[in-house]
Amino acid sequence: MSMLRDFFTFIGKVSCFGVKALVGAFQPPLEWEFFLGQIEEIGWRSLPLILAAGFALGVVMSMHTRGTLVQFGAEAMIPTLQSAAFFNELGPLVTALLVAGRVGAAIGAGLTNMRVTEQIDAIESLSVDSFKMLVVTRIVACIFVLPLLTVFMDFASLAGGFFSEHATSHISLQLYMTSAFKTVEWANFIPPTLKTSVFGLIIGTVSGYFGYTTNEGSQGVQRAATNSVVLSSLLIIVVDVILVKVIFFFFPGQAI
Amino acid sequence: MSDPPAIEFQHVSKTFGNRKVLVDVSFKLGKGEALCILGRSGTGKTVTLKLMDGLLKPDSGKVCIESEDIAQVGEKDLSRVRRHIGFLFQSGALFDSFTVGENLALPLHRLDKTKSSAEIQQAIEETLKRVGLDHDKDKMPAELSGGMSKRAGLARALVLNPTLLLADEPTSGLDQITASEIDNLLIKVKKDLHTTLVIVTHDVRSARRVADHIAILDQGRLVGFGTASELEKSDNEVVRQLVSESCI
Repeated sequence: MSMLRDFFTFIGKVSCFGVKALVGAFQPPLEWEFFLGQIEEIGWRSLPLILAAGFALGVVMSMHTRGTLVQFGAEAMIPTLQSAAFFNELGPLVTALLVAGRVGAAIGAGLTNMRVTEQIDAIESLSVDSFKMLVVTRIVACIFVLPLLTVFMDFASLAGGFFSEHATSHISLQLYMTSAFKTVEWANFIPPTLKTSVFGLIIGTVSGYFGYTTNEGSQGVQRAATNSVVLSSLLIIVVDVILVKVIFFFFPGQAI
Repeated sequence: MSDPPAIEFQHVSKTFGNRKVLVDVSFKLGKGEALCILGRSGTGKTVTLKLMDGLLKPDSGKVCIESEDIAQVGEKDLSRVRRHIGFLFQSGALFDSFTVGENLALPLHRLDKTKSSAEIQQAIEETLKRVGLDHDKDKMPAELSGGMSKRAGLARALVLNPTLLLADEPTSGLDQITASEIDNLLIKVKKDLHTTLVIVTHDVRSARRVADHIAILDQGRLVGFGTASELEKSDNEVVRQLVSESCI
């Protein structure tokens, strides 16, 4: 019983932390310089990972589905299946999990290290709101960057799928893309892509919370990094279930 | 009428959880004077410094900087007071994603909005020259040695020409020669800029060189305050031991 109480207390604290950050994002002064720095760190530096993972997943997905669809003479459906899978679910979810691993650990460990080495005190001693400068900028950058990275993941996976299909069946790029986008509507693309902003909020808030509130030396740095990745990933998967249901509610055509 | 003291603690107490870190601490320090705070580990020395900069607030009592109780002022007034305070943290606390020059630029950008870019660059170069790091402006903190990090931290604390400099163990972890150089820098700052110094240290030799007054904290209580020679005659054995260690 006390474990359950502790769990909900913890979730409450993390939620308050996230709400405080969101409120802070709308209160001037905005730390533009630090925000743009985080866009570069979280977005630009994650891009090679996202592109490589997307391409590889596209190849693997194509190879797996071909084996099954060939039995039914439906290999022409491979591009359609690929785009549907990645635009609707795999792209957003895999992007979020990859970013949680790379960025969540970096935010958790980085902020804890700043706390341990008194860099946060040094910022406060300059009368700068360290929460806004360090936490709000990271959370907002995560919210902003995740949908963009998801778009890159989606198209990298299509490129990987085309590469695999072209190598096997010599399909042309035009035919592959026409087939891939034949059934894609804005409702298949926009809501799943935008839901990654919520994943960004989760990654930024959870890792920011562990990083900013931990003060336990080098062990604390390690623990903050691990906890950030584990809890962010878990929450992303759980919240994804809810968001999919919400998307089906607002866009019933997707739930076929 | 005489000047108000640079710092005045009036019956200050501070508790973390169940642990009493400071208990009814009171003292005054005049402008341009140097105070070294000595004491065993965990006796509230760093907490005392952080109270002086408003990083922590006392549970009771007053922390006055030039007669202004900084525990009671709002963020805007605290920012105005901090404009005149430099803080050298124990580890240097340089922002590790900034170059040394950018570390010095941050206080100028944040606390002194009157300076142009050219004036900011000039202030950075002058301050780095003062601490002997004039060729290291573009280095990252990770490229600096321990002594250089302390100097860079000191430069950042001095870049706004503060009237009060707080230094947390400025010579810890340094060899004798580098520690002596840091002491000389602090003495020079006090002499040239008439800066009030408050230094937390375990180095009695250094305290005797730099300080006009020495404060001894033991289990959160101020058990001694005075010059080194006055404290050597104290009735309190802890005070005598801490002050006379350099004579051993």
